[in-house]
Amino acid sequence: MLILLSYAAVVVFVVGAVYRTWKIRRMPMHLRWELAPVPHEKGKAYYGGSYFEDHEWWTKRREKSLANELWYMFQEIVFLKGIWKHKRDLWYFSFPFHFGGLYLVGASVGLLFLGAISGLNGSFASVLNILIEVLLGTGYLMGGFGVLGLLYRRLNDPDVKPFSTFAHYFNLLFLLGIYASGLYAMFSMQRFVADLTGFAVSLITFNPDFELAAPAVLHVFLACAFLIYLPFTYMMHFIAKYFFYHDIRWNDEPMTAGGKMEKEVTRLLGQKTTWSAPHINGQGKKTWVDVATEEVKK
Amino acid sequence: MKKSLKISDFGKNGDRLLTTVKKDDLPPLPPPYDKIEAEKKWVEISDEKKRRTTCNLDGFVALSLPRPKDEGEEKQMVDKFVAGLEKLLTQENNWGFLQPLTLTLEYCAKCQTCSSACPVYEESGKNDLYRPTYRAEIWRRLVNKYIKKGPKWLATLKHGDIDLNWTTISRLYELCYRCTMCRRCAQSCPMGVDNALVTHELRKMFSQELGWAPKELHESGTMKQLQVGSSTGMSQLVVKDNLDFIDEDYSEITGLEVKTPWDKKDADVLLIHNAGEIMAWPENPAAFTILLNAAGVNWTLASEEPSYDGVNYGLFYDDFQLARIALKHAASAKRLGVKKVIMGECGHQHKAMMTISDRILIGDMNIPKESCFPFLEEIVFSGKIKFDPSKNNFPVTLHDPCNITRNLGIVKPQRRILRYLCPQFREMTPHGVDNYCCGGGSGFAIMSGNNFPDWRISVSGRRKFKQILDAFSDHPAPEVKKYVCAPCSNCKGQIRDIFAYYEADKHSGLKYGGLVELIVNAMVDLKEPFIKWEE
Repeated sequence: MLILLSYAAVVVFVVGAVYRTWKIRRMPMHLRWELAPVPHEKGKAYYGGSYFEDHEWWTKRREKSLANELWYMFQEIVFLKGIWKHKRDLWYFSFPFHFGGLYLVGASVGLLFLGAISGLNGSFASVLNILIEVLLGTGYLMGGFGVLGLLYRRLNDPDVKPFSTFAHYFNLLFLLGIYASGLYAMFSMQRFVADLTGFAVSLITFNPDFELAAPAVLHVFLACAFLIYLPFTYMMHFIAKYFFYHDIRWNDEPMTAGGKMEKEVTRLLGQKTTWSAPHINGQGKKTWVDVATEEVKK
Repeated sequence: MKKSLKISDFGKNGDRLLTTVKKDDLPPLPPPYDKIEAEKKWVEISDEKKRRTTCNLDGFVALSLPRPKDEGEEKQMVDKFVAGLEKLLTQENNWGFLQPLTLTLEYCAKCQTCSSACPVYEESGKNDLYRPTYRAEIWRRLVNKYIKKGPKWLATLKHGDIDLNWTTISRLYELCYRCTMCRRCAQSCPMGVDNALVTHELRKMFSQELGWAPKELHESGTMKQLQVGSSTGMSQLVVKDNLDFIDEDYSEITGLEVKTPWDKKDADVLLIHNAGEIMAWPENPAAFTILLNAAGVNWTLASEEPSYDGVNYGLFYDDFQLARIALKHAASAKRLGVKKVIMGECGHQHKAMMTISDRILIGDMNIPKESCFPFLEEIVFSGKIKFDPSKNNFPVTLHDPCNITRNLGIVKPQRRILRYLCPQFREMTPHGVDNYCCGGGSGFAIMSGNNFPDWRISVSGRRKFKQILDAFSDHPAPEVKKYVCAPCSNCKGQIRDIFAYYEADKHSGLKYGGLVELIVNAMVDLKEPFIKWEE
């Protein structure tokens, strides 16, 4: 049963993530809405400058730096630099939650499967198990600390409380349950990591015979349930964040004659609008071009 | 502890104010401005006015929305509002902003990082109503409960509750005009959510579906510009007359031949001023003319309507009005056969022409557009004109217009000029892309109905005023004349009103103006100072 749930969790999560990504990607090109600083601006990003600073910018070769973008993203993803800079009191909880509760736990799961695939044994397996145990334990503790802190903020901070809904509390409690059950399993079972590796092997080999002890069953069950639940929540923001940054904030591509963008805009401007205020009166009959080129009555 | 404003209260008790702003709540200004402020009374909305128009938000009225005649009209408005909310999330009606808006709808963590970045919220004494998230959260709850498919109870459980009625929509309409759309909130959001965009989109929805927009932006703004040629009301004939007069005047003042060229075919440069400069700050277009002629630039202004006015208020509230004006600007440039269009000292003109409309101007309508800052930088450092920086030997600070710095990333050219020509130049804190809005952004500077100016000066403009005073803290005395370089017509309008309200010239010797005036003031060829300290 747990094995089936695990497969279902992976499938739902992957399908959910792909669907979310597809849903965002299929939206039409938008108008420019960039926001400084744009990190790919070579030599200018550190103070927020852009190519618009150059005299007759359209005659110059654009200097873009992928390295700057990657460095920005690395700091943002790993260290949550934006929160550090703009909301330090939140960072003290959000960073341990993301770094420990997600990255360390995620890395541990990856190592578990690596161990399961490689079929390591002897001292190599012991070293890997210790490493996983340390990472996982640290992840649970950091995640738990972070979640408790975030929960405390939502319950007590007058800035945040009015904006917190049932879903916020439910999500945090759910995560707390996962970390707590993980810690409980870790301390109550002598072979927690080894058993989890065994479970990973049974998942890879489609062998349903492997049985986990009850504390680990509870932990795996909660983790799988969370994976199934995740795609239906705003916690999928790790996908949206890519688009927020790359497609919106940093999208400073100018229009070029005869290019793909021009073709797409021509198509979009040909759509019929239904905005109904008197100065538009689209009624689904007028296109954007019709309305925009209409002479206003004097 | 201050009582929090509940989002679920937004649609309740529509005959009462949702909250109030009191002077005592505002962070104090330094002396003597604390006393000046205490002595001035904010205008109260009369009972007669309250009977006729909607006044149910915070005691200030920017919009004068008439009350509905009966329940039938109320329902009609609410239905239209729902239709508008729906249209905002469809490709055919809002392709230009669908992706950023949808992401902003779905991925806000409500962490309130943006609130600390918002000068309006901070300077209101942290009134919940002005949080960037408050307005956005109302919209999110309305969309989730009334637009998205699925049971309402689930939407309420997941996203929180909100009522939908006349009170909700009338308050939300007024609340859209309590945010200057400076996008500091978006810049600080770790996720990338843009709550200023929500303001923009809601304003659009009210205008494009219900036909609701501030008179100053619509009737006397974009409509007048499209009908007459300029939101100032100047026709082609009048604007040419006015500039002739300015040319004559400044020829006399400077002893130079000041002649503004019009409609020169195939010129290298088409300069488009914000026509407000011609009316309110004639020294700005005059300075451009003097400088460009001295540098030997082959340039022109366009007299075709509405291309002698770079204003495009559509940026603040209506995509179609924006497009109509942008197309006409581009068409004039095309007809004149110019090589490029230079933005005058106007922030929203920069944004409207250089980025927002960039993707709707296709084919031969896409004429290169350049900010006046790198253009002026090129002239100043070209060696064609001799400058004497000692002529600008007075304290100068720079206000960064949000639409030029934060939105377009133009930061250095104006600073290179100021550092070269103004020996006592000093920065505000913070500055550049982290600057604070003047408080008059998104059209506020021209909105002066009812008691709205009290709010825009005392609340939204407060942080900027403090920043200016801080920048000159080494010379507080009024005897030392100080210059705030605010290279944007909208910002200048707001700073003018702030200085007048607090009598900042009298108490601190503060003057404001553009960048090009400082450049011309430093020209060796000018015998008399171009900048006049007496009004």
